[in-house]
Amino acid sequence: MNAPAPRSPGAPGRWPGRILAAVVVLALAALPVYGDPYTLTTFIRAIYFGFVALSVALLLGQGGMISLAQTVFFGMAGYVIGLLGVERGFAFPIPEIAGLALVLLTAFLFALVLMRTHGLVFLMLTLALGQICWSFARQNTSLLHGWAGIRGIHPPAIPGLDLARHADFYWFSLALFGLALLAVWRLIESPFGLAINGIRENARRMSALGYPVFWQRVILFMIAAMLAGVGGILAAWSTGIVTPSTLHLNRMIWILLIVILGGARHFWGPVLGTVIAVWLDVAISQMTPRYITVIGVIFVLVILIAPNGILGVWSTWSARRKAARAQAETPQVQAPSQSFPTTSTSPSHQGHTRRKP
Amino acid sequence: MNYGKAGKAILSLAVAGILGMPGAGAAQGDTITIGMLSAFTGPFASFGQLQKEGAILALEQHDFKAAGKTIKMIYADDQLDNELAVTKAKQLVEQDKVDIITGLVSGDEGLSVGAYMKGKQIPVVPMYSASEDMTMREWYPFIVRPTWTGAQPMDVFGYWLAKEKGYKKIYMIGEDYSYPYNQAGGFKRGFMRGGGDEVKTVWHPVPTSDYSSLIASIPLDQGYDAVLYNGAGSDAVAFVKQYVEFGMHKKLPLLGQSNTFERPDLDAMPSDIAGSYSAHLTADDMDTPHWNAFRDAFQKRWGYAPTAASEFAYGSMLLILRAIEARKGDVDDKEALVKAMHEVDMSDEPRGPIKLDQFNAAIENVYIREVAAGKDGAMYNKGIFTVKGVSQFGPYDSKLYMSQPADGRDSPPDSRARMPETILKVDKDYAFVPFGQ
Repeated sequence: MNAPAPRSPGAPGRWPGRILAAVVVLALAALPVYGDPYTLTTFIRAIYFGFVALSVALLLGQGGMISLAQTVFFGMAGYVIGLLGVERGFAFPIPEIAGLALVLLTAFLFALVLMRTHGLVFLMLTLALGQICWSFARQNTSLLHGWAGIRGIHPPAIPGLDLARHADFYWFSLALFGLALLAVWRLIESPFGLAINGIRENARRMSALGYPVFWQRVILFMIAAMLAGVGGILAAWSTGIVTPSTLHLNRMIWILLIVILGGARHFWGPVLGTVIAVWLDVAISQMTPRYITVIGVIFVLVILIAPNGILGVWSTWSARRKAARAQAETPQVQAPSQSFPTTSTSPSHQGHTRRKP
Repeated sequence: MNYGKAGKAILSLAVAGILGMPGAGAAQGDTITIGMLSAFTGPFASFGQLQKEGAILALEQHDFKAAGKTIKMIYADDQLDNELAVTKAKQLVEQDKVDIITGLVSGDEGLSVGAYMKGKQIPVVPMYSASEDMTMREWYPFIVRPTWTGAQPMDVFGYWLAKEKGYKKIYMIGEDYSYPYNQAGGFKRGFMRGGGDEVKTVWHPVPTSDYSSLIASIPLDQGYDAVLYNGAGSDAVAFVKQYVEFGMHKKLPLLGQSNTFERPDLDAMPSDIAGSYSAHLTADDMDTPHWNAFRDAFQKRWGYAPTAASEFAYGSMLLILRAIEARKGDVDDKEALVKAMHEVDMSDEPRGPIKLDQFNAAIENVYIREVAAGKDGAMYNKGIFTVKGVSQFGPYDSKLYMSQPADGRDSPPDSRARMPETILKVDKDYAFVPFGQ
């Protein structure tokens, strides 16, 4: 497949876009040179929550599934690092690999139950599973230390990288996130991604066409869990602590909101949403002690005004402009060559998915 | 143009983010920056608020100045979430470049922030966070805690109940996290050493609103002398109300940990619990010139009487300001600043004179108190006995104390028979001075 630059799934790569992409990438990569340490910390925070947002968006945007259990995988990876790395003294990468393995195994077991359901039942089951895991972490004092959680996690020594240094940690996280974005984009473009889109639109028809609907959803869920798990490892390294609040429902809903804020159906939606939400948090908490209320109001307004997120507004607007231009010039049929239903979403298409939350 | 727009959006956001960062609030020239990190929202919001008010009172009395320099306060709210506490501490250190970090309400919050601050060479002055390990097993020289540990008042309390009241068996119901563990640990050691036999402990998750099954399972026929509720805040209000509704207070007297009967929670409790004992480092009816001056100033500024949380914050802030003055405003040498904090004279601390031990933890008075009804009908904690000069190690040798496992759910053990002999054989009486003498 002759793909354009990964910045532009859903639109033909054009020069201004490519230049901008290059500038953004350069600006992000050079951040440690001109940004102060806290800017780096905040971007690191945006990256590890970005992993969870990506995981939520993959399930929601591509698979049409709202999962409230993604922070479980986020926290689980951190707990394993804490248990094996801090308390049992295993060196990198054993705790990390064990953490991701446990995440995959748990996601597989969860998915065996979850993927028998759709829609609201799926949502409620993930809520239940998430709450069970959170309660377990909160109440289990012998292994997980209950409310206190596990302290003293440090980023490991990787040859050539001093992750205790801010800049190295940032570059490492950024590179990892870039890889994850690339992987997700390739996944979306792949036949598997198309099949997942098909399942989202009509699972029964896909099943009739001979697709292994159940197993494809299981695999999607495991991939999404893996993304959240990687984010959880970065978070544990960065904050040095993992507690039950790491996997609490509040955080899960916050991430779901930022995905919707950015635009769940858009490739860059979760990224944009996370960056905005993390910076809002920093900026507004400095202005007023009522910052939680302010951020809540902003979320409510965005969801009322723009239920498809910021990128949703933009794509509707640009589609309208394009239509106007197309009318002015020769009528032209745009080939729906890209699977990604972002910029070219027709009204009926969107209406269909909104009925199926 | 499509992706031009999206790219622009992301780029301008990134740039706005970077430019929008207030570069530094560093202590350049005439300003000293103090970060107050605490739970101003969440389950302990009332403690966080009282703490802030106490600190502000001390600052206002000094006109936000020390040694001619302006004190700039930065308040950061961690919602009682340990992970958020670390994130906010990062913000204070990296962005605001604070010279001192203070605040901290809960035990785990203190330990988490303490672990992050290790090696940062910035003094940490916990105000209410009472996990003893912060000034013991996980201590490092930049931690200065002029307040308390969980075990400090409870060792005295347990010893007093066993020795003076003759209690043998206590049934304890507690909140399942580090601070109540530490309170229980101190209580058990003191109680067994004073001649008690058993402290049965039952833990419940935080927060819990329905205690009926916990209360119903308290055995009435096994010779327990009293029930001790080892919890605080909204949990304590709910527990005490239900304890009285079940009529249990007529069968087994209720005792509390240090914070159980603290105001404003006490105002929400039924008056049937009058006579309940607890131990803390303040009592509401203290009558010393220093306390009265503080109480009146606090009452005048905020419209209600102070509590332990506000007094601790007031005293901690005084200590910080005096140390800055002793250093003549030079806060760049942090080691010297910590040394100055250690040496500051705090004999006029409102709750009673304090000195700092080799771990920068307070040696101070412990008060045994009783819930009593005042003339206006409002309940308060009436002091009945004072024990002077109690250290965080109580009567024990510091090495012996720290060689014991850290206090947890099951340690120290529930019964006298399994209590380490080395603890039991420490033969040192506390002197119980009638309150006010």
